[in-house]
Amino acid sequence: MQIQVKCSCGAEKCPEWAIIELQGVVEVQPSFQHSLQNLQIGLLCRPSSQENYTFTVGYHELTGYKVALKKPMVVLKKIKYMDVERQIDEATSSSSCVELDVVGFIRHKILFKTRPTTLISGPQPTVKEKINAEGA
Amino acid sequence: MLLNLQPTSSVSIQYHPFFGPHDDLVLLELDEKLLSDVLYQRVTLRGQPDEDAVLCTKSKTYSVKFVGTSNSVFLIPPADYSTSHESGGENYNQQVPTASVIKVAPGNMELVEVAPRLDKLKSILSENLYSSDEASTAMGDLYKWDDLINKVQASDDELKAGLQALSAVEIDGYWRIVDEKYMDVILRMLLHNSVLNDWSLDSLVEDKVVSVLESDGFPRKLVYHCLNVYGSRVEEAMDGGVWRLDARRVCVHFARGILREGKRKMESFMEEWLRMIPEEIQPSFDMLEGEVLTEKLGVETWVRALSVSSFPTTPADRFSILFKERAKWEWKDLEPYIRDLNVPGLSSEALLLKYTRRSQPSIDAEPVFSAR
Repeated sequence: MQIQVKCSCGAEKCPEWAIIELQGVVEVQPSFQHSLQNLQIGLLCRPSSQENYTFTVGYHELTGYKVALKKPMVVLKKIKYMDVERQIDEATSSSSCVELDVVGFIRHKILFKTRPTTLISGPQPTVKEKINAEGA
Repeated sequence: MLLNLQPTSSVSIQYHPFFGPHDDLVLLELDEKLLSDVLYQRVTLRGQPDEDAVLCTKSKTYSVKFVGTSNSVFLIPPADYSTSHESGGENYNQQVPTASVIKVAPGNMELVEVAPRLDKLKSILSENLYSSDEASTAMGDLYKWDDLINKVQASDDELKAGLQALSAVEIDGYWRIVDEKYMDVILRMLLHNSVLNDWSLDSLVEDKVVSVLESDGFPRKLVYHCLNVYGSRVEEAMDGGVWRLDARRVCVHFARGILREGKRKMESFMEEWLRMIPEEIQPSFDMLEGEVLTEKLGVETWVRALSVSSFPTTPADRFSILFKERAKWEWKDLEPYIRDLNVPGLSSEALLLKYTRRSQPSIDAEPVFSAR
């Protein structure tokens, strides 16, 4: 079986995607679990001309930086389709075909790997590993 | 653009309207040099449903592995990534610029260069050897080039090299390995005619050889194949079509024929072998390295066939079989049986370290290799 890896947008027009990477997990408050769409996770700021960034999620502020990936990545989309013609010709056991389409590439990520600082002063429960996102 | 966020600006990171698991979106990490092959559609994934997929460029094969991460990797597509008119991705039309996360990636795929998996090629082509009674043989599964691509996990170039190493020949569009006994018949006929017609084995004229053997009843394709297997084209010949028989290949062929029925005492083997080899060819026993093993049993030295070409190509399997054949090996005997092993990134010293135990009975004895 051979699966062709395509790039339907064309190599020159292949868009660059981005990654924000955090150590830890973003938790959504239970009441918002089922309506995530368009929910704000946080605010990403670049305070100066350096490649340093802050990411504010709920009451937590993370500091990080943009870094070039040591090896580039591509974003592949698996496309399944029914190929009726082939089904008749080759009598293959499965009648569906799979293709892979390169929909983007990634060369950089914005990485946050330090412990978050808490923005609200006053008594706080012990700082957790996890950070909570609130609805906008 | 999120990636070009200007100093003193900010962007709101949101869940995309179509945020979800999107199992059909996969990240693949690759070396810079592979990036253009991928973008310009020069790579394919190959393998049967029950095999681990490999990724192939024109000349190399890579295994594909998933590497997970415990970090949260927010994947953000460009602004226009959306199958509908819903606004998603990034846009600066709103008061606060936004960038949307389509998926949290659990990890990414990685590529590791591997040797092509050619053992399968040999076994499927051996299912139906091309023999002299081809017409009457029941047609089992025969394979065209495209069938081989579908079944064998190797790049195009590696597959071609594999076919060459097997001395396979394309007949009527199908790739075939010719039965050794049939090759023997054709070769002997060629040598017989060389004597009859006073042909020099160093300068066989293609047209003459082909027409004579064709009139003896051999298919044209097979005669060319015989020349290819046992000889090489003489480049310097003026009008092309001149061949020189390769001494080693001819000698190995006859040695294998003698030992096909079992091992022989050295004297008996040598006597028959020298008798069969054409006068023009000078045999020497070291032509047979990687093809025969000599053993001392009592006072007698025996010879038996052990061809490196019959062994698996993966190092673990190769060493396992070698140590089954013989528990301890000296380097000079072992070397011909592992010199063809190809593992990207592993030298032969590293292979030995990994798969064998080296011991030295005494200071001036030869080191000996055995199973780990």
